[in-house]
Amino acid sequence: MIALAGGVWLSFRGFRSEPAGYRRVALLSFRLTAALLVLILLLEPGIELRAESRVRARVALLFDTSRSMKFPASPAGPTRAEELRRWAAQHEADLAQLGSRFQVDVYGFDKELQPADPGRLPADPQGPSTDILGGLIAAASGGSGGRPLAGLFVASDGADNAELSQGVTQTAGAELRRLNVPVFALPVGAQALKDLAVERIAVDDFAFVRNQVTVDVVVTARGFGSTDVPIVLRREGQVVAQKTVHVDGSRTRYEVKLAFVPDRTGKFAFTVSAPVYEGEAIAQNNSRSFVLKVIRDRVRVLLVVGRPSWDVRFLRQLLKKNPNVDLISFFILRTPGDDPHSSQDELSLIPFPTQEIFQEQLKTFDLVIFQNFNHRPYRMSQYLDGIAAYVRDGGAFAMIGGDQSFSAGDYAGTPIEDVLPITLLPSGPTAVDETPAQVRLTDAGRRHPVTELATSGAQNELVWAALPRLPGLNTIGPLKGGAQTLLQSAEGRPVLVVGEAGRGRVLALLSDSSWFWSFVAAGAQQGPRAYETFWHSAIRWLVRDPALTPMRVTAERLSFEPGSEPPALDVQVRGSDYGAAAGAQIAVVTSSATDPSPRPMGAALAGPDGSARVVLPPLPPGAYKATATAKRGDGTAIGEAEDAFVVAPASRELVEAAPRPDVLQALAAATKGRVLAASDALATLPWRDPERVEVGQRTSKPLWDNWKVLALLCLVVGAEWTLRRRWGYA
Amino acid sequence: MLAFGDAARLTFAQLRHGGRWDPRPDGLSRLSWEISKRTSIETSPAVKSIALADPELFRFPFAVLSSDQAFPAPADNEIAELRRYLSYGGFLMMDDASGTRGGAFEQSARQLVSRIVPGAQLGRVARDHVLYKSFYLLDGPAGRVATTADLEALELGGRLAILYSGNDLIGALARDSLGTWEFEITPGGELQREKSIRLGVNIAMYALCLDYKEDQVHIPFIMKRRRI
Repeated sequence: MIALAGGVWLSFRGFRSEPAGYRRVALLSFRLTAALLVLILLLEPGIELRAESRVRARVALLFDTSRSMKFPASPAGPTRAEELRRWAAQHEADLAQLGSRFQVDVYGFDKELQPADPGRLPADPQGPSTDILGGLIAAASGGSGGRPLAGLFVASDGADNAELSQGVTQTAGAELRRLNVPVFALPVGAQALKDLAVERIAVDDFAFVRNQVTVDVVVTARGFGSTDVPIVLRREGQVVAQKTVHVDGSRTRYEVKLAFVPDRTGKFAFTVSAPVYEGEAIAQNNSRSFVLKVIRDRVRVLLVVGRPSWDVRFLRQLLKKNPNVDLISFFILRTPGDDPHSSQDELSLIPFPTQEIFQEQLKTFDLVIFQNFNHRPYRMSQYLDGIAAYVRDGGAFAMIGGDQSFSAGDYAGTPIEDVLPITLLPSGPTAVDETPAQVRLTDAGRRHPVTELATSGAQNELVWAALPRLPGLNTIGPLKGGAQTLLQSAEGRPVLVVGEAGRGRVLALLSDSSWFWSFVAAGAQQGPRAYETFWHSAIRWLVRDPALTPMRVTAERLSFEPGSEPPALDVQVRGSDYGAAAGAQIAVVTSSATDPSPRPMGAALAGPDGSARVVLPPLPPGAYKATATAKRGDGTAIGEAEDAFVVAPASRELVEAAPRPDVLQALAAATKGRVLAASDALATLPWRDPERVEVGQRTSKPLWDNWKVLALLCLVVGAEWTLRRRWGYA
Repeated sequence: MLAFGDAARLTFAQLRHGGRWDPRPDGLSRLSWEISKRTSIETSPAVKSIALADPELFRFPFAVLSSDQAFPAPADNEIAELRRYLSYGGFLMMDDASGTRGGAFEQSARQLVSRIVPGAQLGRVARDHVLYKSFYLLDGPAGRVATTADLEALELGGRLAILYSGNDLIGALARDSLGTWEFEITPGGELQREKSIRLGVNIAMYALCLDYKEDQVHIPFIMKRRRI
């Protein structure tokens, strides 16, 4: 281009002084024409000829083939699937008309998308779940021949259990808008359905004992008029919370908060349920179960002391130092016979709140310790029954000796004696024996975690044997069945006896001088370690610290789906010596909230490591407590352990089967489509119908590639040269 | 009904040092008697006199060290044993029977403390300390004399392990063989003697119960009575 412009300029400079204007114009015109012709030759211009035709857009029709379509579309009416088949038959002509305008792709959808024939939609759909959004996205991106999409049609009950299960969320809305086509939705079975469902439960996986737990429940009610619906929370059949929801038909979802305070640790199966009303489409979704593990944040200990003493002082100091113990203590600092020579206002003493601690607060404690405490002066007889019941119900109780304890504390014949692992004698001068006692481990004591002060058995024996002698012991009657003496004096007097009462554990220490194992031992260069280890282990054993439980059972999962793998339990059995109980015979029984009587469910033999897996038979839906018991070959019991699990009522597809026209309404709104009535014709819907042409044939014709252009160029150049010579320009 | 011998009872151990270690022979047994009559604590009327390095000391977690004059510095092994005694839970009450501020006993006592816990010094016991409300509600120290306005103490492991009284507390309780008070109480007379007995009771109660009276359940009652 620059060279051509330069050529024109040089030529013009040569004749710009020419006086005759017509000559200047002629010479410049020839030069410009020549330059233009050279430019044409260089650019090679041409003409492209194309044969074009218009392309038909496509629409995708999606029909729900999930199992929820087997539910009635209306009370006592046909199923939703049948209603959909009827709609397809009625719209045969409509679909044909739509096909004349668009390429129509027809799909069935449930968990996945598959091609379908509208004339042969399934009467017995078997799709395991419903994913409407996934189906729409797959249908939009698929299709034949890359045709543009004019829109989507979906016919469904809306009972989505995938991304739209919570409605059209922000994320789902964004994905729908990215489709960039309208979605027309035909709700199926939306009318006249009556169903009440516990749709969702939100609760933490674990809770702390004695701390309030709130269970968030979403209840859906469709087809109900103004009704009060009781929502009940049960723990293994026992009602722990209840609320009434007023259902008025103005909306379908109701949120309920059920709060309760768990009073003991462990794993429990809970069930939230609503009554099943007449005419409900689905009864299985009126209840829902879950498993909650209740743990303790700290061991709450009630220490009741008959009088201040060194034994009290060292135990209190130990418990107060333990960050895992929340200690509540009551010391009797003054008896009715004491005279403090002062008015009550000059003393720091408080009334002994017997009613509050032994009646109102008793269940809040993990462990109750009576340390040299006689109940008689404080009119506590009325509370002893409650304390015994607390122990049998899973509480822990320890009695520590002294001149006001055991037989000397007048507990013979009381409910407290009933839960102690020992029998008592009538109170009298023989209730204490002041003969010093050197403690020794018994056979049971050598294996028991409470008396394990050293890891090796021999070392453990040595540690106990080296501890200072105790100055005396409480005198008791015979031991009860099941009681274990862990420590005894050289001449065989029991010193430490443990046992169980109902579901609770009990410890009897028949001395008021265990502090000798701390302070006096420290004077003998032994240190207080034995004392501290003993009491920490005793407390952990009493409150059933899981680490000190010889036998454990763990459900493979918290919740088992019906029809999938049957429930399985992993059992670990250790003997009383806490070693693996190889070859132990394990039997499992289960009970449920609806059937509390134990049913044998399986058995197994423990392997060399004491473990076994017990696979249970398929169980009906519900919340279960599994109890495994282990025995040795000779029939002697080893132990027992429990766990809880849930068998879900059915798959979500069947439980959450209530029609959700609201979901269809929301997705139509998000895509600028609309919800259709059964009578609406598809052919007349405002499909997007984008203009698009397809190129069939393409030819190019060059404009410069012929002799005429070259001849014209030669002619122009020649004419300019001739005129320049004639008019005297070189 | 008796406890299992002396082990369960509160028995004072009077430490024998190289000086005049028992200036108030009847004072501690009198305090034992008062404690027994006024509270639920079982006490032994007999006072156990015991040497500093005697292993038997660990059977008596409440030790008393007293004199009205300076006492020779204990040997290193005695200091080590005393340190061990206090570290594992023992309680030592030091009472200046001279009742003289800055006297010879006080100087010996302070030197002893700084040897038991090297570099440590006695500190003032605050008036809101649980020691003053462990049984009686008290507003300060007491004794045969009123030389010092506060008790002093050394804390180990969150508790008072050594308590120092400069007012001859034990002297206020001492009686002669005929049962009459051995010393006049100045300046407060019999009211001050009663206060001294109460302080002795509170010290024993603190040694056995530690901070029991600071448990949450007691606080509203004590606050209310303090206001009366």
